[in-house]
Amino acid sequence: MTATQTGRDVILRMDNADKRFHGVHALKGVSIELGRGEVHAICGENGAGKSTLMKILMGVYSADSGTMYLNGKPVHFLSPRQALDAGIAIIEQELTPIPDMTVAENIFLGREPMVAGLFVNYRELNRMALEVLARIEVNIDPHRKMKTLSVAEVQLVEIAKALSYDSQVLIMDEPTSALGEKETDILFEIIHSLKEQGKGIFYISHRLKEIFRIADVVTILRDGEYIATRRTSGLDQDTLVSLMISRKLEGQYIKGNVPTLTPLLQVRDLVKRGRHEPISLELRRGEILGIYGLVGAGRSEFLESLFGVVKPDGGEILLNGKRASHRTPYDSIKNGVAFVTEDRKNSGLALILSVKDNATITSVRKYHRGPFVNRRRERDDVSRAIDFFSIKTPSERQLVRNLSGGNQQKVVLGRWLLSRPTILLMDEPTRGIDVGAKREIYRFMSDFASAGNGVIMVSSELPEIIGMADRILVFKDGRLSGEAARGEATEERLMQMAT
Amino acid sequence: MPDDASSMQESNKFRAILWELRIAIALVLICVYLSMATDHFLTTRNLINVLRQVSVNGLLSIGMTFIILTGGIDLSVGSMLAFGGVVTASFVSNAYKDVPSINPFHAICLGLLAGTVLGAVNGLVISKMRVTPFIMTLGMLSIARGMTYIYTNGMPITDLDKTFLQIGQGFFEPWGVRLLPWPVVIFLLAFAIAWVVLYRMKFGRYVYAVGGNARSARISGINVGFIIFMVYAISGFLCALAGVLLTARTSAGLPQAGVSYELDAIAAVVIGGTSMTGGKGPLIGTLLGVILIGVINSGLDQLSVSSYYQQVCKGLIIVGAVMLDYFQSDGER
Amino acid sequence: MRKTALFVAALVFVVSIGFAQAGQKYRIGGATYGLAGEYMKLWATALERHPAVQQGLVDLTIFDGRYDASVQQSQFETMSSQGYDAILFVPIDIEAGAAAVATAHAADVIVVGSNTRVNSDLLTAYIGSNDVVSGYMEAKAVIEKMGGKGNVVIIEGPIGQSAQIERLEGNLKAIAEYPEVNVLERRTANWSRAEALALMENWLTAHPGTIHGVIGQNDEMALGAVQAIKAAGLDVKDFAIAGIDGVSDAITAVKNGEMDLSILQDAVSQAQGAIDIALGYLIDGYEPMSDCWKDYPEMKWNGGKDKTYDVPWTPITKQNADEQWEKRQDLTAR
Repeated sequence: MTATQTGRDVILRMDNADKRFHGVHALKGVSIELGRGEVHAICGENGAGKSTLMKILMGVYSADSGTMYLNGKPVHFLSPRQALDAGIAIIEQELTPIPDMTVAENIFLGREPMVAGLFVNYRELNRMALEVLARIEVNIDPHRKMKTLSVAEVQLVEIAKALSYDSQVLIMDEPTSALGEKETDILFEIIHSLKEQGKGIFYISHRLKEIFRIADVVTILRDGEYIATRRTSGLDQDTLVSLMISRKLEGQYIKGNVPTLTPLLQVRDLVKRGRHEPISLELRRGEILGIYGLVGAGRSEFLESLFGVVKPDGGEILLNGKRASHRTPYDSIKNGVAFVTEDRKNSGLALILSVKDNATITSVRKYHRGPFVNRRRERDDVSRAIDFFSIKTPSERQLVRNLSGGNQQKVVLGRWLLSRPTILLMDEPTRGIDVGAKREIYRFMSDFASAGNGVIMVSSELPEIIGMADRILVFKDGRLSGEAARGEATEERLMQMAT
Repeated sequence: MPDDASSMQESNKFRAILWELRIAIALVLICVYLSMATDHFLTTRNLINVLRQVSVNGLLSIGMTFIILTGGIDLSVGSMLAFGGVVTASFVSNAYKDVPSINPFHAICLGLLAGTVLGAVNGLVISKMRVTPFIMTLGMLSIARGMTYIYTNGMPITDLDKTFLQIGQGFFEPWGVRLLPWPVVIFLLAFAIAWVVLYRMKFGRYVYAVGGNARSARISGINVGFIIFMVYAISGFLCALAGVLLTARTSAGLPQAGVSYELDAIAAVVIGGTSMTGGKGPLIGTLLGVILIGVINSGLDQLSVSSYYQQVCKGLIIVGAVMLDYFQSDGER
Repeated sequence: MRKTALFVAALVFVVSIGFAQAGQKYRIGGATYGLAGEYMKLWATALERHPAVQQGLVDLTIFDGRYDASVQQSQFETMSSQGYDAILFVPIDIEAGAAAVATAHAADVIVVGSNTRVNSDLLTAYIGSNDVVSGYMEAKAVIEKMGGKGNVVIIEGPIGQSAQIERLEGNLKAIAEYPEVNVLERRTANWSRAEALALMENWLTAHPGTIHGVIGQNDEMALGAVQAIKAAGLDVKDFAIAGIDGVSDAITAVKNGEMDLSILQDAVSQAQGAIDIALGYLIDGYEPMSDCWKDYPEMKWNGGKDKTYDVPWTPITKQNADEQWEKRQDLTAR
């Protein structure tokens, strides 16, 4: 309807897609169309219906109503296999490689060239894989096992796999979330060449800058509803954000903290062989310290050593000038340190447990009444955390699995808030969450630091780190490669130090 | 529209409650059927019988629930049961000459200690040396059984102290009122304690947290290794306790007691709705699962159904319980 | 060179003497189906007490078959290749040992079956007790205690095992002689005391006051029934209860009047008789050394060349329980 424009060479069109899950209206009559040689971004906060729409296109879900046309003919996919055969491929947000298989085996899984219909022709398989990888100018040996690849390399292999289907339509769901700047550039070059080959691409990302850089057209969804389709050339970021969240935002970052000169945490030559070189740094009261670097530069590894997740080989940690030992996370928590990990699902939360159990797991030891848990105090604390971060959940008993990404992250923050820390370590604190939730997290960081505490944030998003940090340290190959004060830091400078 | 939504919510709520109660409902249905099909099923005496019969498997299943909640498994419960049983029997037997006869209470403590040590070895190796629970407890299944044969020289230990036998055959009689058989009292007491530990003490939270996501639990400051160690030690203790009851009930320390009991214990836990991957499952479900298996065994005996059908029946219930889980969560493929 | 030759000659001499000495000693293997139960334990102990073993004429090795026919098979292969002179064989099941016997036969090793028969023509000889007879004896004793009428339950061994099949045949044969006896229930408890306990409890619920006799196809299960009756608050003296095998606990139960009868399967005679038979084939003019031939005059030696020797059953009742108890204490003393 609204999206229909005439005079375009349309590959794929979806009319009035509608979908409910267990009474939740996830998609309310959304229409969209994708032109040949077009990069079409889909924008919206988490829960806006982007993933549902894409899963319908891929045949993972079937729509309750609505029709889909491929090259003008109505189609109806019952499984992802059928969609693949028709020329629609997806690169998913959650990567699913088989770690013990080679790159070539992963790319052609289920489509191996055979000899006599019985044996895999490995020579041919590897040749084909090499060809596909060469098409996107990626230099990865097809004989390597997937488990030896970095996250970014896995992502590139997934892209190669999607291309290997000779698809006309590619769906990319947050393809850069695991990529550093350099790999992102490679990906964008690939997208450009795909455009030239006349393929259509649906591109989903929370990183609005990327959308302006790569997309021709952007469709905005909100709460399962179609809002608008605009050409990116006539659009600015603030307008896009306001379309997404319906309320106007003044500036993306919230920052009110003022750093002092009093050292809160001093790290001297903390080292873990094979993970990072000796690192020394200082965090002051009231400060947000940013750590920037490419994927694999040793940033997360350093935080893990600092928190005691892995035992460092050497170095010392001083809290308020006194030596502290962080042999286990338990010691760190006792010393008032909290750690929001990079990966919510693998190391942050227990998805199958409730909001309450996740929120109080670090602090439950404080709620003692004799040998028992004082459940009233526990409940009070949980409601405090829910209110504080305005976590959207029907009840404290809701399973965390059923919350949106932003709300999940707020549960993690709530947990650490309840442990009353003075130092907050945050690894990619806003990855994969929507704009509204990001702002709340920024506000929390600022308020937390203002109260005389300190924050160390690791981030791959340059605007975010420049917007929030008082000082930025740059990591490269497991060591410190530079430092920039607030005001001096520009994207170009940080990139230079990181590469 | 709002009417529609609220009625849908109502029906969802109803379905959710029905779901929570599924095992209880199945149990009630089976009991109703059995009380119609047989003359004596619904008598106090028979119900007490059933409870007494399930008390051994019940104790094993409590320990198994703790372990499965952490994402582990314990295949060695039957062997630890036998070892705890014969150690206790040897100290209350007049016929077993290698060790002196001692006060039955002390003998029971020694048996429980023996089982706890075996369980602790399981826990230590699993948590410290990262041997997978399946492999470690498979090894312990064989080790503990072998130790039982060595200890008894392959012969049953008989001629046990009469006071000791009371714990398996006697009744709890407060103020002269015959209430319940001792094994049932001990089982229910163990269940109550386990419930308090699991739901009212921080240890229980940690058990769920470790099973829910061990890495996250570790970063949250939980000593994951210690929790894992503890659940296996607890299982060892409960196995030995079950062994003591079985010994007193059969009046003999039988070295071949408890063979393949791990299967019934795992079955009870799974039927009770505990997820084999850990982190999810109610202890009360295990209690119902234990009773369900007991009722079916006992009911089919009384209906004179061949034991072959009993096995098929039990298998169907296990698979059915897990299949229900699948259908309930079909939206989340 | 000469030194080497001398050395080789010396070596050959020493080795041949070694062989000559080994020739005077007979290597015999006792292949049990498994050593976890009391009965096989007694059987193995009896082998070790045989005079020929004690005097050093026989070099005896006991094998634990671990209740697995394939384990027994591989043990037979080991014994055949290591030059054993004879194997005393207790198979896990009547059908499960034929291949093992064939293995030994091909290597010219004598195989004497004991306790449980093997379905094989290649068996040198067999010594055991007829399970049909014991089944008949125990059922008859139970029925007579009941006064020739009433209801009985039968607790069976694992269905399909030869002992279960034959003992059941004997049970039913006796019951058929009494038209007023009715079989209420018949079910397996897999030789297990704990299983029989639960089974009997459930039967007592299903048939309150109407069960008069319990026929346990082994003692363990009969003892389980005794526990169930006691747990139900009933008097064991009101029931006729019998089992088979004569395990220690059953002898005690008979002494105390809890069981009416246990039928002793004589592990000692089955084991020691088997050694005598094996030696009879190995040594010309061998005279049996064990007491079993004197204990049971009805079992004739006949030069040791009979195909089958039938060890009689000994009923253990209140009258001879004490005497049997003493004998058993002697055998189980460690």
